[in-house]
Amino acid sequence: MTAEATTSEIGDEGAVAVPAAVGKVVSPARLTWWKFRRHRLAVASLVFLIAAYLVTLFASFVSPSSPSTRSRYLYAPPQSVHLFDKDGTFRGPFVYGYRMSRDPKTMRLVYADDPSRIFPLALFVRGETHEVLGLFETDLHLFGAPGGYVFLAGTDAFGRDMLSRLLHGAQISLSVGMISVLLSLVLGLLIGGVSGLFGGRIDTVIQRIIEAIIAIPTIPLWLGLAAAVPRDWPPVYQYFAILLVLSLVSWTSTARVARGRFLALREQDFVTAARVYGAGWFRIIARHLVPNLMSYVIVTLTLAIPGIIIGETALSFLGVGLKPPTVSWGVLLQEAQKIQTITFYPWLWIGPAACVVSIVLAFNFLGDGARDAADPFSR
Amino acid sequence: MNTTPAEPILRVEGLCKHYGARRSMFQAAAAPIRAVDGVDFAIQPGETFGLVGESGCGKTTLGRCIARALDPTSGRILYKRPGGADGEEPVDLATLSPSGMRPYRRDLQMIFQDPITSLNPRMSLLDIIGEPIVINGIAKGRAVRDMVADLLEQVGLRADHMTRYPHAFSGGQRQRIGIARALGLSPRFIVCDEPVSALDVSVQAQILNLLQDLQASRQLTYLFIAHDLGVIEYICDRVAVMYVGQVVELASNEALFSRPLHPYTEALMAAVPVPDPAARREAAVLEGELANAANPPSGCTFHPRCRYRTEACKTTRPALREVVPGHFVRCHRAEELTLAGPSDYVAREARP
Repeated sequence: MTAEATTSEIGDEGAVAVPAAVGKVVSPARLTWWKFRRHRLAVASLVFLIAAYLVTLFASFVSPSSPSTRSRYLYAPPQSVHLFDKDGTFRGPFVYGYRMSRDPKTMRLVYADDPSRIFPLALFVRGETHEVLGLFETDLHLFGAPGGYVFLAGTDAFGRDMLSRLLHGAQISLSVGMISVLLSLVLGLLIGGVSGLFGGRIDTVIQRIIEAIIAIPTIPLWLGLAAAVPRDWPPVYQYFAILLVLSLVSWTSTARVARGRFLALREQDFVTAARVYGAGWFRIIARHLVPNLMSYVIVTLTLAIPGIIIGETALSFLGVGLKPPTVSWGVLLQEAQKIQTITFYPWLWIGPAACVVSIVLAFNFLGDGARDAADPFSR
Repeated sequence: MNTTPAEPILRVEGLCKHYGARRSMFQAAAAPIRAVDGVDFAIQPGETFGLVGESGCGKTTLGRCIARALDPTSGRILYKRPGGADGEEPVDLATLSPSGMRPYRRDLQMIFQDPITSLNPRMSLLDIIGEPIVINGIAKGRAVRDMVADLLEQVGLRADHMTRYPHAFSGGQRQRIGIARALGLSPRFIVCDEPVSALDVSVQAQILNLLQDLQASRQLTYLFIAHDLGVIEYICDRVAVMYVGQVVELASNEALFSRPLHPYTEALMAAVPVPDPAARREAAVLEGELANAANPPSGCTFHPRCRYRTEACKTTRPALREVVPGHFVRCHRAEELTLAGPSDYVAREARP
């Protein structure tokens, strides 16, 4: 297309600023992606999050057992994976069995490795049957110790595998963030759009309502609303009720961003031009306004997800969110309210806490990168 | 040029645009800002009518009212399609509903000042230039592509640029894209809202020449808004000078630049820099700020800044009078004052 660098028949400032790929048409979306790619931490976070969501999606396959299967090993510490046995011979990846004893003073169970019992780990082993994505049943698991047991993240008071519980908890904790954010996207775009486009009295009323909602301290508001959810509802209903409670607050920030962008874009000359050549409002909104504000909205949403994940965790931790037997990271963290857990069984709270922290951090880094990439002034 | 007045293509009568008169819930009603306050003029077919004034004098608002990007508060904008039947009555664009305005959108287009914000960054040139064509039902599908290619070439760009996005173009090229978008509807009248103010001086000349070429080949009429007197002198046939929402002087290009009759025009011309360090001149430098359009001074709105003010100027508002045939001025002392035009200064800045 453009082999020569200059466009001579255009006398203007000369060459078109085409990056190395001469002749390739660069869309704004691609430019944004190029800028995002420069943000290493954000790219790493994106990869991590995609991996986390994939694992979560297939949690029942990745985890060695179901989150409610009990074993006789109560409060067992995490097993570590070994390659060489005590004599130094290579055995492939394996875990040692537990040697259980009781502390004669405190009567607490004490575990130690039993060198005589070696459980080799294997991929794609048969185990409990489970449903994948609610579509089909299988008894295949990603890994396991055939003929033995494997608790890579330890067990809880009922001897349930913490790793399986963490993975199943992620299904709730991670999806709460996504679905609730989608809800706030719809609410925020609609209400913020109406506010920004129509302006005037409607705008004033909507903005005052948003300010009133923001002014209410979130935790008490969540507590109050969550407490109003009937206790005898099935877990699925409770889950959606909590989702609604969380979205009720988070849509306000999306609405503010959408309103601000609508107000700013409405005054842009290209919108005036569209009016002058006779474009209707619907076309202006769909073709000129929304495409230009999506990047900002996506950034706000990315930055809103961690808040919602933390909100769910906080509610469940306080005991008014989801309740056992439903498993979420917040439910798992309820264990951390006991002093024995904190001192004697740290794997019960370090696991879920580390999950929450790493996911929230990844979303924040991703949001930072996305914000920089979407900012037209950093071009 | 200022030939025998044919029937004007556009006649503006008593046009007003006031802002913010409404009372909101938490604010007391403020005096409305009179951005455009009773403007009258007529534009002949095929001419370039200049509109000049300081920032904030209402010239952009006036241009946008005429293109109906804004709804005027009051007044009439009478548009008569050239080549129409003799007895055809002009249409008052000011009162047309959006749907009634539709057929006239094709005739009246607009070119904008800022080449960055006037193009949608998320659309390719094909969409930017093609959208008006599609919306107004001029062409469809493959034909749009051909029209866009043709338009791009007319404004000095290449047809294969149409798949690109605005960010790949320079300011001058973007301005050409804006011109191509306006031309797509084959308009007869174009409001050029400071089309070259944001461009480098070298590029300004190219865009001005392009506008002149297009005017000749397509029989266009321009309302040319600018604050740069050099540009105005170069391109316009007749010029109106605006101050605080009103026209204070209206004359042919030569008449205005050789012998301005309003002290404000004199001051504007004196403010044009002369690129000669040795040149010294009695500068009629403007003092003070542009008057507040929400609360304009009594009498002549220019009197607080005028060197020639008398007591009468402070109390009575002058009317726009035809002092010399074709030369209108809003000043009590137009006849007695001898004002300096740019030709009275040592040298004029060399302009394109």
